[in-house]
Amino acid sequence: MAKESASVRIEHLKKVYPGIDGKPVEAVKEVDLRIEPGQFITLLGPSGCGKTTILRMVAGFEIPTAGDIYIGDTRVNSLTPDKRDTAMVFQSYALFPHLNLFDNVAYGLKIKKLPKDEIKRKVDNIMAMVGLEGFGNRAPNQLSGGQQQRVALARALVMEPSVLLFDEPLSNLDAKLRVYMRNEIHKIQRKVGITSIYVTHDQSEAMSLSDKVIIMNAGHVEQIGSPLEVYLTPATEFVADFIGIANILPCRVLENTGSSVTVDVLGIPCTKAVTGSALQVGEEVKIVARPESLGLGREGDIPCKVVSSIFMGESQDYVVAVGDREIKVKVYNPMIHETYHEGEEIFLNLQKDSLHLIPKKA
Amino acid sequence: MPEKKYSMWSLKWDEFHKILRDPILLSTIILVAISLLIFIVWPLYDVLKESFLDGKGSLTLEYYFEALSHQENIDVLINTVVLGLFVSFFSTAIGFIFAYVDAYLKIPFKRLFKLIAILPIISPPFALAMSFIMLFGQQGFVSKVLLGIQNSNVYGFRGLAVVQILTFFPIAYLVLAGLLKQIDPSMEEAARNLGASRWQTFRTVLLPLLKPGIANSFLLVFIQTVADFGNPMVIGGNFNTLAAQVYLQAMGNYNLKVGTALATILLSLSILMFVLQKYWLGNKSYVTLTGKPSRIRAMITDKAIIAAIGIPCLLISLFILVLYALIPFGSFVNLWGIDYTFTLRHYEYVWNLGAKPIWDTTELSLISMPITGILGMVIAYLIVRKRFFGRGMIEFVSLLSLAIPGTVIGMGYVLAYNEPPLVLTGTGIIIVLSFVFRSMPVGIRAGVASLQQIDPAIEEAAYDLGASSFKVFHSVTIPLIKSAFFSGLVYSFVRSMTAVSAVIFLVSANVNLLTVAIMSQVDVGRLGVAAAYSTVLIAIVLIVVSILLAILSRMGVSIKSVEG
Repeated sequence: MAKESASVRIEHLKKVYPGIDGKPVEAVKEVDLRIEPGQFITLLGPSGCGKTTILRMVAGFEIPTAGDIYIGDTRVNSLTPDKRDTAMVFQSYALFPHLNLFDNVAYGLKIKKLPKDEIKRKVDNIMAMVGLEGFGNRAPNQLSGGQQQRVALARALVMEPSVLLFDEPLSNLDAKLRVYMRNEIHKIQRKVGITSIYVTHDQSEAMSLSDKVIIMNAGHVEQIGSPLEVYLTPATEFVADFIGIANILPCRVLENTGSSVTVDVLGIPCTKAVTGSALQVGEEVKIVARPESLGLGREGDIPCKVVSSIFMGESQDYVVAVGDREIKVKVYNPMIHETYHEGEEIFLNLQKDSLHLIPKKA
Repeated sequence: MPEKKYSMWSLKWDEFHKILRDPILLSTIILVAISLLIFIVWPLYDVLKESFLDGKGSLTLEYYFEALSHQENIDVLINTVVLGLFVSFFSTAIGFIFAYVDAYLKIPFKRLFKLIAILPIISPPFALAMSFIMLFGQQGFVSKVLLGIQNSNVYGFRGLAVVQILTFFPIAYLVLAGLLKQIDPSMEEAARNLGASRWQTFRTVLLPLLKPGIANSFLLVFIQTVADFGNPMVIGGNFNTLAAQVYLQAMGNYNLKVGTALATILLSLSILMFVLQKYWLGNKSYVTLTGKPSRIRAMITDKAIIAAIGIPCLLISLFILVLYALIPFGSFVNLWGIDYTFTLRHYEYVWNLGAKPIWDTTELSLISMPITGILGMVIAYLIVRKRFFGRGMIEFVSLLSLAIPGTVIGMGYVLAYNEPPLVLTGTGIIIVLSFVFRSMPVGIRAGVASLQQIDPAIEEAAYDLGASSFKVFHSVTIPLIKSAFFSGLVYSFVRSMTAVSAVIFLVSANVNLLTVAIMSQVDVGRLGVAAAYSTVLIAIVLIVVSILLAILSRMGVSIKSVEG
């Protein structure tokens, strides 16, 4: 696409709604973000965490209570949605039911008063890009959900906006189609290179699409990082728990050398390289152990008892008890491993490198 | 993080900011608010002011004491309340039976019910009173010709009450039939399955579900009955009601002060009922909780039940049809009650002497139609989609005019626009304004209902794609709610053509209206001419509405039946 895509800066953004019962509702509390031109970032979090509110403030549907939003170098706080160079893909698609597909996609271009032939060329191009060439005369209600979704995407893309906004665009599709459309969106965004903000509560969407994931909870940002970072090195217990499955184990600090910290995990000392940590010896901290980073065996580190053992196809999923603590363990490719049964007394093995110490909150 | 306190006002101000930065939207809101202020609030304020201020401009209750010192006015007040309760009770009961028969019984000719629900809307509001006089009056066909009674007296409480019940029970029928049809049949099946008989099911499941609906239709009918002006004037005789008395005091006795005091009492009564209906009952319906019925209900074919309630309903419908048919019939009869030979002389008379009201009424109704339609949709849009200071007031005031008795607002218009800054008395404009603001609420309700079913994201998408709020409204909103828009148009025209209570204050030598002309013909006893005028009125309504519907069906718009 011809146009340079823009950066988006969000500074000290805050949104408070007048609540129904008279109590103010803080939907977004003090959020700072910087999105580089062409980047694809995801706002990920449970419902009610403020992610959609941020998106709607960028689009101009909501007015920030405090803070600023910049698109490129322009502060857009006071611009109405029609004056902002953003295009949104809505959760409900929001196709115009009284217009056919061509007119749906051409709507914004007509408002820009582009010449007829240029509109036709652009719409045809974009319809081809989303795989709907020749559908121009159809009415929106003659399409399947996936097709409607693609029209909604085309209608936004054709505007060649500086920022694309996605509001849970795939949540109304069935599971298989969701994966397919996710890949389509990924491909198309890479091709057009438009800065994109994508709101979802589905972590697999976030992981597969984004350059950067912003994990939100209760109106604030918990962590900003690449999919790899948020999975492997969650900044908070919330992130560890929200992304994937995690065993969050309390442990006690045994030693802090300044360049590494040694903690006691279920009786086993583990040393992690952490520089400049303020942890004191004897302090209680939390450590994240992903189920697939733990192993089981007839011998090993920690004696445990199998509580449940379920064959999932690609893996055997266990819950084992160490004392009164239950720990999830996932063993991939169960065919080449011994299977343990409920009630068996076996051993749990830690892979010390895969454990992650949750940093203490400042 | 330090807890910061936000005042509700500053947060609401934030929301209001969205409006402020959009000049088209802001000016629309201001225009709407101003027009509601000028054409609904101001006239009402003038009525109140006139009744509470004495000649020197100081506050007084003198005119209320004066009004209530006359036994006549006390009687009128009692009459109004008694009549209102009586008519509302029987209308709701009959309406309920009709609704039940419609929703549950397998009988033929049910379409008759729809017809008798529409007839009161498209004919002059006192049509049945006229027919009643033609049947049971001094020269009545039944009373004189069939029964041979001389000097039969149809005027008074009995005649008025029956006429009002027959005119207003369709309101209750429409409300209750709508609710009954929404009830999921599986709920009743569950009751039957648990051992309840049909009667027990009716008593323990249906009735409790419908209680709010029954109360609602009672209040709706009460508001209509109390505000009814035409029927009491035509058939009330010595049994006077408030709505008529207001007019008689102000225009007959030229006692404007007492007239306004009575108008204020009437207004308070109506607004009380309106507030009860809208805000107390407003959210009490259980029926809607269950949503769309999962399947079609198995209709009752039990002969005993059909004979007990189905057949009577059909007979009542037939009787009402005959009453309406009497009007065109009467217009072709030489001298009602004496000489039943065919004649066209009433139409000749109408044509030679009084064709002007026909043209005036049609023209003014056609002029107000698009204004009402567009204003109604704009207000519906603002109410449903926008949050701003005064939104609640706009909603309240614009729907309030449903409840304001026509005589009160008519009097208000006379008081408000008789002197500068706005002199409109005697013009067609004042009549157009009264048409617009009287028939707008129905369009607003239709618009609100259909907007609430449309995903706001569709309009946001247009906004996001660069459309201004005006562009969004006319390129997306209006096409999506065009069905409501056009039913608003149709309703507006019909209601303007048949309006009488407000405009009777506003007609003049320059502009006269059909309904008013009919009433004065009834008053002087020229029933044939009145019937001819009425027939012309109904014909115009039917012709214009059919043309509108034909145009619309060409455009692919279907209109749900216009509600009352």
